[in-house]
Amino acid sequence: MSTRHSKAGEAFLKDKEHASWHNESLWFVREKRDKVSKDIPEWEELRELSSRIKMHTVSHLDTYLEQFTKNAEANGVIVHWATDASEHNEIVYGILHKNNVKKLVKSKSMLTEECHLNPYLIEMGIDVIESDLGERILQLMDLAPSHIVLPAIHIKRQQVGELFEEKLGTEKGNSDPTYLTRAARKHLRNEFLTADAGMTGANFAIAATGDIVVCTNEGNADMGTSLPNLHIVSMGLEKVIPDLQSLAVFTRLLARSATGQPVTTYTSHFRKPRKGGELHVVIVDNGRSKVLRNKDHVKTLNCIRCGACMNTCPVYRRTGGYSYTYFIPGPIGINLGMLKSPADYYDNVSACSLCFSCNNVCPSKIDLGQQIYKWRQDLDNLHVADPTKKLISGGLKFLFTKPALYNTSLKMAPVVNIMPRFMLYNGLNEWGKGRELPVFAKESFTELWKKWKVK
Amino acid sequence: MQYDMPDFTMNAIQYPDKIAKFSEVLKSVGGVAYLLKDGEDVNEAIKTIYPNAKVIASNCPDISCATLNPDESDDAHQLTGIDLAVVNGELGVAENACVWIPQNVVHKAIYFIAEEMVILLDKNKLVSNMHEAYQQISFSESGFGIFISGPSKTADIEQALVIGAHGVKGLTVILR
Amino acid sequence: MKVGLFIPCYVNALYPEVGIATYKLLLSLSVEVDYPLDQTCCGQPMANGGFEEKALPLAIQFDNLFAKYDYIVAPSASCVSFVKDNYPPIMERNNHLSQSGKKIYEICEFLHDILKVEKLSGHFPHKVSVHNSCHGLRELKLSAASELNIPYYSKIKTLLSLVEGVEITEPQKIDECCGFGGMYSIEEQAVSVCMGQDKVKNHISTGASYITGADSSCLMHMQGIIQRDKLPIKLIHVVEILAAGL
Repeated sequence: MSTRHSKAGEAFLKDKEHASWHNESLWFVREKRDKVSKDIPEWEELRELSSRIKMHTVSHLDTYLEQFTKNAEANGVIVHWATDASEHNEIVYGILHKNNVKKLVKSKSMLTEECHLNPYLIEMGIDVIESDLGERILQLMDLAPSHIVLPAIHIKRQQVGELFEEKLGTEKGNSDPTYLTRAARKHLRNEFLTADAGMTGANFAIAATGDIVVCTNEGNADMGTSLPNLHIVSMGLEKVIPDLQSLAVFTRLLARSATGQPVTTYTSHFRKPRKGGELHVVIVDNGRSKVLRNKDHVKTLNCIRCGACMNTCPVYRRTGGYSYTYFIPGPIGINLGMLKSPADYYDNVSACSLCFSCNNVCPSKIDLGQQIYKWRQDLDNLHVADPTKKLISGGLKFLFTKPALYNTSLKMAPVVNIMPRFMLYNGLNEWGKGRELPVFAKESFTELWKKWKVK
Repeated sequence: MQYDMPDFTMNAIQYPDKIAKFSEVLKSVGGVAYLLKDGEDVNEAIKTIYPNAKVIASNCPDISCATLNPDESDDAHQLTGIDLAVVNGELGVAENACVWIPQNVVHKAIYFIAEEMVILLDKNKLVSNMHEAYQQISFSESGFGIFISGPSKTADIEQALVIGAHGVKGLTVILR
Repeated sequence: MKVGLFIPCYVNALYPEVGIATYKLLLSLSVEVDYPLDQTCCGQPMANGGFEEKALPLAIQFDNLFAKYDYIVAPSASCVSFVKDNYPPIMERNNHLSQSGKKIYEICEFLHDILKVEKLSGHFPHKVSVHNSCHGLRELKLSAASELNIPYYSKIKTLLSLVEGVEITEPQKIDECCGFGGMYSIEEQAVSVCMGQDKVKNHISTGASYITGADSSCLMHMQGIIQRDKLPIKLIHVVEILAAGL
């Protein structure tokens, strides 16, 4: 009984020191979140509001998207619609090509990751520079992000030091985070100044005003959109929210849930193109509208991509983002992957002990744990259920529906206690790899009860 | 399934001393709140806080210590080498030390490109929380507005907090 | 009131002393308790593994078996939450109305919420570290979960404090999952063991002599690790402490 996740997880855990460091790093972020959430007495009320605003918006999504488009276009914003990833990439390239863009500077966008935009643009001859420090480090290392908010959480400072020594000419052996960050600032400053276009994601799109709202700490999204005159926004269609009053709820929850800060350093509202420039918004479907009709999983559209579920998940913390086969890991990733393609991503469904901690930290109250439980029920219909699990479950059902047989088994079970160790603990016994087997009681409760009653 | 918009009367947190809370939070996010004393000259205050700033950019008419007016540049790309930018803010939020700035400069790059920045804010224009803030903020013709809370930062290298990423490395809000 | 005792499959086979303690405790509180003999399992292992439909016959069997009781009480938070939360949808899909869900209680819940116990005669002069099992905590709400900004409470600790001599502590990462999770413990063996080792380590760091909790499944998983790694701490189900001396 194993999945690609369980195997990758086991490999990750082999480096005990690194795995423990990874676990504690993420737990630290969870603790920071707990602390700031306790500063706000109305925290649980905010979560409830957030959930209800999202559910309302998602159940009226077409209206809000229409309203957003109308208002954005009235402000001079050019709105595009992309059915899927390749349409998105073509549209983006089209805009860049039309404007003779050679260098594009990007701020973090998981949607562009989803659409595999970077390799596409690079192949089409455009120089793409990731400007978020974590993303830039990974780009230079040719690696993918392992967390949606803290993309390089799995990378140690020494690795960054060595990378920058090679690529940016920093001092040998210097892995001080401040020194390295200053080096990155200088390097990326030059990129911002020589870029032809800037690209961002969108944390929120405001229907009532046509604003695109981007929340960052580093200032890279703002640098990238204040120098070149062409700004392209990549946005999933579920990012739209009704109005600024709704935004107040989300801005109070987002950074507190994500990193334990009261707010991100910058909350930027882009309402119009800059003077003499252009602002394009590409609204992307890529399977999201299908989720609208999936009553068991529609709540995944509530997600504001804060990553809190990953920080609390005991499995994610101990196995890391690369153990998951979908590009978004952790509880939300398990669910989004299954919505994208069960055949490709069912391996992640094993990565959950159903502890429900994720439910409790989600600012939009998505029932992440229950949804993972529901996906487990679907695995058999999708023909990807583990055959051993199926066999065991069938066997248990057989046993448990026959009380007489069950009671006999209870009487016979203690014989397992005296079986030779080599029979019990071998490669076939997964339980026994790290634990001793429990001991069957000489007399089960049923046996004991019968005895007393007989007395 | 259709869901209604929830009723929105939020009893959000109120701070009796908004200046104190704003200052406390600003400090915790790596910034500084400076309360201008009665009769104190803002230019003197700026020169005291930033004695080493040689190139000071501001389009505020009362900032006489400015050495250049960024609005006079043709192009945002020319705004390099600025030690200190001084800009006006419109509204402050106590719960998270945000200051709302509806773009009030020709090149918004000035909010990010300098090494350090001072935001001037009327100390009576503080609200407790974001609900109140979003009810009151306004936008300028440019259509760009931003909440700024403290200097830029990152923790992308081993979760070690570094103040000063791609935006300003230091921020002072002068409350006057 | 007539109470039907539900002794989960693994408690029956591995930890009958937990069942005995539950029975004796209820008797000592003047509760009329019966144990219907044909009970087997609630079906959670199959359901969590992805085969909840296989739990349907068990759910129907369960309802019939316990139909005549006012309350069903079990010394297992995870089984109780499964019956409460999962039986209704599984049964409704198959045109049955779940009866058991409305009247089933975990033993601590029952003592705290229904019997409203204020005195216990037991004596247990040991330091214990409370294990806040996930289902008991986040589904049955036996204590305030650490993620939530709600007033703190713990039904388990409240009851334990009624037993003379008990010194109560809780570990760092107070309600992090121990890693059992049913078939998860086998399918994701390496992570499961790592989670269990971490949890046991945190319990041991409190200086307690016992780990105690309301779920024998968690205790069983941690016991496997304690025995393999030969660690200096014992395990005991909460109900055994509450029934101490009976």
